[in-house]
Amino acid sequence: MNFYKATLFRIFLLPLSLAMCACGAERSSSADASDSDDRYKIVSTVGMITDVVRHVAGEHAEVAGLIGEGVDPHLYQPTRGDVVKLQQADVIFYNGLLLEGKMADVLSRMANSGKPVHAVTERILQDDAYIMMQDDGSGYADPHVWMDVAAWRTGVEVIAEALAAYDPANAADYRSRAAAYSSKLKALHQYALDAMATIPADQRVLVTAHDAFQYMGRVYGLEVRGIQGISTESEAGLRDVETLIHFIVERRIPAVFVETSVSDKNIRALIEGARARGHAVRIGGALFSDAMGKPGTYQGTYIGMIDHNVTTIVNALGGQAGGFASESH
Amino acid sequence: MMMTWYAIDTWIVVVGCLAAVACALPGNFLVLRKMSMMGDAISHAVLPGLAIAFIVTGARASLTMFIAAAIVGVLTAVFTQWISKFGKVDRGASMGIVFTTLFALGLILIVRAADHVDLDPSCVLYGAIELTPLDVVWRPELFGQTLDVPRAALILAGVTLLNLLFIVIFFKELRISSFDPELATTMGINAGLMHYLLMTLVAITTVAAFEAVGSIIVIAMLITPAAAAHLLTDRLASMIVISVVLAMLSAVLGHLSALIVPGWFGYAGTSTAGMMAVMSGVIFAVVLLFAPRYGILKLGPARHSD
Repeated sequence: MNFYKATLFRIFLLPLSLAMCACGAERSSSADASDSDDRYKIVSTVGMITDVVRHVAGEHAEVAGLIGEGVDPHLYQPTRGDVVKLQQADVIFYNGLLLEGKMADVLSRMANSGKPVHAVTERILQDDAYIMMQDDGSGYADPHVWMDVAAWRTGVEVIAEALAAYDPANAADYRSRAAAYSSKLKALHQYALDAMATIPADQRVLVTAHDAFQYMGRVYGLEVRGIQGISTESEAGLRDVETLIHFIVERRIPAVFVETSVSDKNIRALIEGARARGHAVRIGGALFSDAMGKPGTYQGTYIGMIDHNVTTIVNALGGQAGGFASESH
Repeated sequence: MMMTWYAIDTWIVVVGCLAAVACALPGNFLVLRKMSMMGDAISHAVLPGLAIAFIVTGARASLTMFIAAAIVGVLTAVFTQWISKFGKVDRGASMGIVFTTLFALGLILIVRAADHVDLDPSCVLYGAIELTPLDVVWRPELFGQTLDVPRAALILAGVTLLNLLFIVIFFKELRISSFDPELATTMGINAGLMHYLLMTLVAITTVAAFEAVGSIIVIAMLITPAAAAHLLTDRLASMIVISVVLAMLSAVLGHLSALIVPGWFGYAGTSTAGMMAVMSGVIFAVVLLFAPRYGILKLGPARHSD
């Protein structure tokens, strides 16, 4: 009986002591908060937005991103820490067009309650002709707008105007920073156009695991083929792979591409299939589709990500590209 | 890693407790009727509902998905009852037949009519408990402080109240028809009607809680607190009260340990929903070991000599 009572006692004491730890810690960390600077807080979802926001906000705000490198935003699960960040944020940016899944519902409801919450694609949405439908009959807009650098520049404007409205004292600074960054993007866009044009015309085909590259294909003149239907593990999925292998062999496509945030299993199946039919196709490299590279590296920036994708695609498909970074410096 | 308790933590715990209690209340009757896997069954069976709703409306709006899921949830319960009644099949088996068939039907519908559309329940139906505090719908003033009441808290409070009222009003009928349907019939209680009412309530509770906090909390709380309570008492009324206490304890301990336990291993925090379900399992294990009469250690005074 003693053992029983003592155990029960311990079991019920444990949550109490845990709660005390939690309360004790609160005091010490609130002291940290008081001596932090008076910069306001911006939270954004994907890295492509976070990077642009950092450029526009400069030293005026503290910018935090929610979805890290190598994470597929379609599969992202918010943690309690993310929710704390969202709640303490003064301004929130997200992509929109359903990239963030069910979290976008919550974000748009926060926007309705008066908080400055902005979808960076909101300006593009005003132009119906721009938005591409997903190539799967779902009738949904393709969210991967950042693949088209010219379009992403409208997102830079959205961010600059949102920050100018939130912090009018520094509005001029936000606009001039946005203009400087936007002109860099203009140069990047030109680099991509020039580099893509060096690929032999009959080889301008981009084969990847999922269709994140439709905007890139349209603006830079690539035919885009993604493996589809496989996620449902259906017979139709196998047929899709068959059709795609046939296409690769027929057109003598030299290279296909894997993505950093998507499993390369299906792409390897393509390569095996093409080899069985006597056509050697290789992996042209890993592209960044829904997530950027490691923070702190060149590929961990928006410009670096696009530069990497463009340069990798161009060189693998028989074109000539030296890289935007080496060109501009 | 320093831990700070925010208002959202309070709301996560409140929403978690409400979800846990809303599920634990009807869960007692599921456990007694050997239909514990109903939550899991419904979580699979909703797929054709989502597919049909998408085919009919051509959109993935949250409300249509919710209504379709609730309808299929009720149908799951009805079909299960029919098969076990007319086919003389054990309820567990007939539940298995119904939900696997419905799930498979859902797969076929999706491939045939809506291929490539992301109709996964985790995408269009399940909520995340962590996000619930951000969705504030009501800001009452209380003692000079503004409360930011999340939508999920209101919905789950409504569902909990509905379940509580149902159990209080029909307590006698539920008890007799759960333990002895034949006796219930001779006493003039419509045991079949009681069953359908209860199952409708389970379906609504399950789908509403899926939408608010995700699937794992719901499936766990429908079974585990009631099963643990059943080890501690033979009286239905005390079983229900104990299951509610254990459900709330799982929710509170779940969120606390989601914040604290990963810190011991150098991580920043983990899934609250997962931790709440794990805690209900831990509590069950403790009860299974130490329950006075039915526990493995048999610590209490024995009533019968076997």
